[in-house]
Amino acid sequence: MEASITLKKVGKLVGDKTILASLTFGIEKGTLVAIIGDNEAGKSMLLRVISGIEYQEYGQIFINGLDSQKRRNEAMLSLGFVPHELDLDPWLTLEENIRFIGMLYGESMETINTRMIQLSRDLHITTYLKKMVKDISPGIIKKGMIIRALIHDPEILILDDPTAFMDAESYRQTWDLLLRFKKEKTIVYVSQSLQEVEEAHDRILVLEDGKIALDGSLDRLLGSTFEYHQFQIEFEDLSDELFKTLSKLPKVKNPSRIGHSIHFYGRERGVFFEVLNAASSSVMKDIRVKKLGLQDLMDAKYAKDGIH
Amino acid sequence: MSTIAFVVLIPLLLHITLTMVMKNIFIYSLDKIPYEIWVFPGIVLLVSILSAYGVLHRDLFDLRIHKKSFIPITLAPYSKFLLVAGFLLSAIVESLIYGILSMLILSSFLYQSIYWYFYLAIPLFGVVFLFLFVNLLLTISILTERITTYLSMIIILFFFMIFGTGILFEFEFYPKMLGTILTYNPFSLVLSELRRFLFSSHINWIWILVPILTGFVWMWMNGFILKRTLKQ
Repeated sequence: MEASITLKKVGKLVGDKTILASLTFGIEKGTLVAIIGDNEAGKSMLLRVISGIEYQEYGQIFINGLDSQKRRNEAMLSLGFVPHELDLDPWLTLEENIRFIGMLYGESMETINTRMIQLSRDLHITTYLKKMVKDISPGIIKKGMIIRALIHDPEILILDDPTAFMDAESYRQTWDLLLRFKKEKTIVYVSQSLQEVEEAHDRILVLEDGKIALDGSLDRLLGSTFEYHQFQIEFEDLSDELFKTLSKLPKVKNPSRIGHSIHFYGRERGVFFEVLNAASSSVMKDIRVKKLGLQDLMDAKYAKDGIH
Repeated sequence: MSTIAFVVLIPLLLHITLTMVMKNIFIYSLDKIPYEIWVFPGIVLLVSILSAYGVLHRDLFDLRIHKKSFIPITLAPYSKFLLVAGFLLSAIVESLIYGILSMLILSSFLYQSIYWYFYLAIPLFGVVFLFLFVNLLLTISILTERITTYLSMIIILFFFMIFGTGILFEFEFYPKMLGTILTYNPFSLVLSELRRFLFSSHINWIWILVPILTGFVWMWMNGFILKRTLKQ
């Protein structure tokens, strides 16, 4: 498939600190890519560099085959960017903010109005269009920012925490709209919500210290650990002796305790019954079993060391 | 409200606190022009300067510092030089409109009537003067990161514009060395040529071209500074 965004050995320094370290990867046209990682992993900086807000010190970025530095103006035409922070002009109405950017991109007033009305209907914010931004709640402003980024109909949409400040209903409306653009536009986004990423992605990039630690779909990332389950048993009284006994069971992986609860991983559900047998003399208050997800993958120890 | 303040209150205030007081001290300029007529073009430019502060703060500094709409503007497919030109043009046009309106109001306060060509020449020379001033303000707005620094800078700049460009006093009143230096700063050149044209109908085109060229070079530099500051 054709690449929409290509990074070649891209490096970014802030002062003497390396924020992005020689990143090389491509993003195919029409894919939905989620970028996750710890704080300071370089996620937002990666979006800023791709979208042209800041230049990279090293390497090259190609947007639809165009060098983003040498042919910046052409490359920028196919990009729409939504930053994390709310950045609409508070002293203009929502529609003035959107219209202004549309005009900067050379769109006709008719096109701007048609797109703005359609998108604001999709996001249920039509009644807010004529309100001053300073009088609108953050969730609505964020939706307005998404419309602003889409007003020139870019091929690539880059979003830094697209559903930040939104309630559950707005979250659904926003993803309903974004997922409609799937296949048609390339969407790259950063999110702090792992549940959001699990629900909406073709590919996940896990950044760690400015490098790509993991890359692939959720199933692929979970890989050999896909069959693992996480178990949690809460006892009325979890003694040290009982914890040691359970931890020594051969199929119990990565055991840990919080208060009177024991957490552990196991490849088969059968391990659960072994633990129950071993702890049959103790009173159990609660039991939970869940399949591994992104949260487990992002657990620092687990992500680095895997399950032993 | 701010429009009424700029168009009516500021000219009125400047007339009462500056012209009406100073004309009793100076009475005539060194070329025997009544002081209130001599100072009139300077007061009009002063109103334009004051409005330019507000316009550029609203359009550039405030948006940049508070991260409001500025980044999306810089991502639009234009060179930084064109963006700077856009900020310049909108600030000059808006400030000039305030200047023209205040000129009409101020002229009604004068004891002596002014010639019709004052109304044409002041805005034309005002464009060149504002071209330089807005460039200077742009440089400050781009380079300054803190509001307190920005305020200090514009206060210093305001004093320079009042006392260092010949708006209120002729440079012959200054110590000789200082007066000579100030006479040849591009802002003073525009104002002195404007007065020369208004009061003696002569004009030295070289002294007009120098500020215009300075303005264009400055505009290019501002584009470069903006690019460097934004790291784009």
